[in-house]
Amino acid sequence: MTTVIWLIRDTFRQSLASGVFWILLAVTLMATALCLSMRVEATSSPTAAGPDALVVGHRITNDAAQSRQLDQEDAAGHLTVAYGAIRIPLARDVRNTVKFLELILAGGVADTLGVLLTLVWTAGFLPGFLDRRSVSVLLAKPAPRWMLLAGKYAGVLAFVLFHAMLFVGLTWLAIGSRTGIWDAAYLYSIPLLLLHFSVFFSVSLLLAVLTRSTVVCVFGTIVFWFIAWGMNYGRHVLAIQAQVAPSGRFSVAMNAVVDVGYWVLPKPADFGMILYDSLGAKNFFGSAFDMTALAAHGFSLWLSVLTSLAFAAYMLFASAQRFSTIDY
Amino acid sequence: MQEALAASFENVTKVFSRGLFGRGGVVALRDVSLSILSGEVFGLVGLNRSGKTILVKTLLSICRPTSGRIGRLGRDWRDRSTLARVGYVHESQAFPPYLTAARLLQYYGALSRQPASRIRRRGKELLERVGLADRSREAIGRFSKGMLQRLALAQSLVNDPELLVLDEPSEGMDLAARRLFHDVIRQRKKQGRSAILVSHDLSDIERLCDRVAVLRGGTVAFVGSVAQLKNEFGADQSSPAGDSSFEEALEPFYAGARH
Repeated sequence: MTTVIWLIRDTFRQSLASGVFWILLAVTLMATALCLSMRVEATSSPTAAGPDALVVGHRITNDAAQSRQLDQEDAAGHLTVAYGAIRIPLARDVRNTVKFLELILAGGVADTLGVLLTLVWTAGFLPGFLDRRSVSVLLAKPAPRWMLLAGKYAGVLAFVLFHAMLFVGLTWLAIGSRTGIWDAAYLYSIPLLLLHFSVFFSVSLLLAVLTRSTVVCVFGTIVFWFIAWGMNYGRHVLAIQAQVAPSGRFSVAMNAVVDVGYWVLPKPADFGMILYDSLGAKNFFGSAFDMTALAAHGFSLWLSVLTSLAFAAYMLFASAQRFSTIDY
Repeated sequence: MQEALAASFENVTKVFSRGLFGRGGVVALRDVSLSILSGEVFGLVGLNRSGKTILVKTLLSICRPTSGRIGRLGRDWRDRSTLARVGYVHESQAFPPYLTAARLLQYYGALSRQPASRIRRRGKELLERVGLADRSREAIGRFSKGMLQRLALAQSLVNDPELLVLDEPSEGMDLAARRLFHDVIRQRKKQGRSAILVSHDLSDIERLCDRVAVLRGGTVAFVGSVAQLKNEFGADQSSPAGDSSFEEALEPFYAGARH
C-alpha cells in the first residue's frame, strides 16, 4: 500500500512539473468564472412549446423583423453571460436553464472535450515513468512489477478524480450561488467522468507498456476512442433502423460484426447517455435514441458499463502481464 | 543456495529475441557460473557488450535469465523480498527531474520498504555524507552529472543494503566524490557488507575489489584476485605480483588471445 501511495504522490508531482495540473486548473477556473458571470432572468414557468422545447420561437413568419419580435415575445427571460455583456433570450424557466448549463458543462465540456484532452495531456505520464533509464532502479525494488504499474495507473486516476471534483464542484457552487438552484444530480457526473477516463486510459497504459512512446499513446488512444464511439453509435443506429424497417439495408453479417464490436469495445456514446440520464436531461431535452427500441435489442445501461469495465480490466491485465516479462 | 553467498549464478544464459516472431537471438550471457561471497567486494570487468550489465540486471530481476539459476542473498532471484536488502546504482540513471534530492531518497526508501522515520533520518545523513545537504531542497533537474552520481550513491544506500550493486558508479565523479565513493565501499566492507562493482575504471577495481571476473562475449573468462590475474596473464610473469599493470594483464582477454 505504501508503494501505491508513493506512486500516487509521484503522479501529482509529475503533473505539477509538466504543467498538466495547472492547465486543468486553469480550465476549471475559467469555467467557474464563466458560471459566476452568468445570470438567468426568467419567469417561473416556460412559455414556449413546453418543457421539451429546444427552439425559442414556435410561430412561423417570413418577415425577419417580425420573427425577431416574435422570438422576444416567446422568450420567458434571458441568460446573461460575462456580467451582462452577452444576452441570450430563453424559452426555459430558471430550473430548465440550469439543467441546460449543467448538461453543456458535464456532457460537452467535461465528458467529451475534457476526457479527450485529459487523455492527451496525461498520455506522457506512463512513457516517462517507464523510460528504461528511470524505471530500472524502481524495478530493483521489492515491489512487484504489476504493483508499480497499478500504482501509476491509480495515480493518474486519482489526479483525474481530483480535477473532476474540482471542475464539477466549483461550477456547481458557482451556478448554485448565481441561480439559487442546487441540483445534486450534477454531482453524479464526477464518478461518470472518472469511469469514462479510466476505461480509455487503460488503452493508453497498454500502449505505454508496449511502446514507451508518448506519440503512440496520444494518437493510439484518441483513434481508439473514435473507433469505439463509432462502433457504439453505429450499433444503436442499426438497432433503431431495424426497428423502423425490419427488412433493413444492412446484411445479417454486418449487423453481427457491429454487434460483436459493440459488446467487446468500451462504449463512450453510452457513457454520454448515462450522464444525460443521470442529469435528468431527458425530461427537458428529449433523448438522442429511442431507449425502448434499444432495449428491445438487448441494450442495458448496466450491461454497457459492466462490459466497458471488463474491457478495461482486460487491458490492465494484459499490460501487467506484458510488463512483468519485459527486460529493461 | 546458502546465506553465506551474496549472489550466485549457475549456468546462466540470457538470449535476447530479435527479428520477426523472435526467431533471431542475441546471446548476451552464455553459461555463466559465479559465486560472490558475503562481505566480498567483487569486480566485473570486460569490454562493452561483454555482458557485465546484463549479468547484474539478471541478479536484480530487471532482466530474466533464459536458463540457469540465480541466487540473491540466499534466495532465488524470483523472490523479490530480498531486493529490500539490495542497493543499486544504474549505469546512466535518470531520476524524476521534478523531485528534490530529499524527496527522491524518501520515495525510493519507501519503495525499499523502509519505515518513514528511518528514511528521513537516514536521508539527511546520506545527503550530508555525499555533500548534497545544502542542495537537498533543489529539483534534481538542475543537478550536474557529478551531483547526480553522488545522489545515485546516496539512493543506493538509503536502505542500508547488505548487497550493493554499482554499475559504473564513478563516471563523471570528481576527485573528492571518487574518494568518498571509495571510503563508502571500504567502510561497508569493514561492516561485512558485499558489493558488486562493474567498471571500466581499472584503478577502482584494483583498489577496492577482493576478486574480479573478466567477461568476454557473455562468458566468464577469468575469476580470481587482481594479483592472480596479474601473475597469470601479466606481461612480466616472472616478477612478483604487482609489477605488471592490471591493464596489461587484461590485454589477452580483450585481444581475444585467451579464453
